[in-house]
Amino acid sequence: MRSTTYDLVIIGSGPAGATVSRYAAEAGLSVLLVDKKQELGAPIQCSGAVSRHALEEVGLPLAEEYILEPIYGFAIYDQAGSATRIDYRQLKAEEYGSGSGLKPLGYVVDRRRFDRYCMTLAERAGVQTWLKTEGIGYEPTPDGRCNVRLRRFNEDITISCRVLVGADGLMSQVGKWAGLQTHIKITELAGCLQFIVDKVETDGLLEIVTGHEWAPGGYAWVFPKGHGYAEIGLGVIPTMTDKPARWHLDKFIRQSFFKERFKDCRILEIQGGGVPLAAPLRTQYADNLVLVGDAARHVNPITGGGIHTALSGGKIAAEFLIEHLSGAHASDCSATMLKGYQDEWLAQLGDKMWKLYHTKTKVFHHDDIPTRDAFLYQTMSDYFDPNSEYKKI
Amino acid sequence: MSKPQPVLFDIGWNACINCGACVAICPQEAGFISPFDTIAVDRPCDIACLLCEKICPVDTITHVLVSKSESLES
Repeated sequence: MRSTTYDLVIIGSGPAGATVSRYAAEAGLSVLLVDKKQELGAPIQCSGAVSRHALEEVGLPLAEEYILEPIYGFAIYDQAGSATRIDYRQLKAEEYGSGSGLKPLGYVVDRRRFDRYCMTLAERAGVQTWLKTEGIGYEPTPDGRCNVRLRRFNEDITISCRVLVGADGLMSQVGKWAGLQTHIKITELAGCLQFIVDKVETDGLLEIVTGHEWAPGGYAWVFPKGHGYAEIGLGVIPTMTDKPARWHLDKFIRQSFFKERFKDCRILEIQGGGVPLAAPLRTQYADNLVLVGDAARHVNPITGGGIHTALSGGKIAAEFLIEHLSGAHASDCSATMLKGYQDEWLAQLGDKMWKLYHTKTKVFHHDDIPTRDAFLYQTMSDYFDPNSEYKKI
Repeated sequence: MSKPQPVLFDIGWNACINCGACVAICPQEAGFISPFDTIAVDRPCDIACLLCEKICPVDTITHVLVSKSESLES
């Protein structure tokens, strides 16, 4: 049994956890970042789309190491195949494109490499990183700190820290340790499945297919995946269909208006995940504990996108903790004090996410399928519109 | 409504893609989880809401009633 102390222990080294760690270590805090996996990013539960400004905002270099393909815009389809194309290579040809002096709108990244890249930067900033290390539990201690129990290569280790950061994903166990209400409604968790395929052409756009016919409660997508590959996937809300996502994906590939385009596709990888199309957690903090990323349900309820929100939320958490732990109330890390993190997050990001959630809820309040389809198509098209107020979420 | 009967989950590992959706939807307390990041399969679930079976993208979670599995074993 070993015992060591840190300012912060962070459980989960995805984009959120690695970002909190990196900023905290750069500011001089002692940080231990743990992940139970032996390699990060896998199994992949994500399509990997992220905007360029989201990476720049948190100081991540745009590195070839993890970028699979640049993205220049969107195509939103209704269920019959009519599309709204929002291609920034045409809309703002002087700014976006692949030529010299031009830039992409975003990227599809390789999550295995991206997560490792984020962790490497944290490590180089001075973060102690432990893989094969699982969180077992945490208890606040009378000295105002908390003990975090870990198991690393079968060894039980207790670490004393000032604040524990739960960045352990949608299935967050850390949140449950603190008794936070992490339960998600079955009507708001999409069961997602995607295939990485060969022999499907793409054109630098994120393609989004709406319609109950193809993806009840969610949407289907075709994203470029680099090296000539594509990913075809969809998410469905289980209460809106009696079939699993896999059945719907087969149907989308064989029967949709894209069937000709998909007819020679060869499946190279199969990935899946649960994606919340839900509101953020109402309480994202407890005594000596804050949650970030998927664990705090920092996921865009319209798109299901979570990389940008994880990165930005991670930075907000780090900035709050750096200030708090060097301030007048540094020795008090009770829930009352850490609420400040959530307030800051709501002001910078969360209030907009709540608004998006209400927009999404309104769409699915329509019981009539054609009406709902029309609203979803409109909502998605508006969301990705260049003049959308949500452009930066 | 009658009280739910405790169930024991079974996961068809051949189809499981380790997506974590079953754990994400699970209202059980912390730790009701297998070493493969799925819901636990080595102890009964007394909530028996079966949401994990509904959300599974590859339809590979099933269950038996604990009362039945015990009688099968004896």
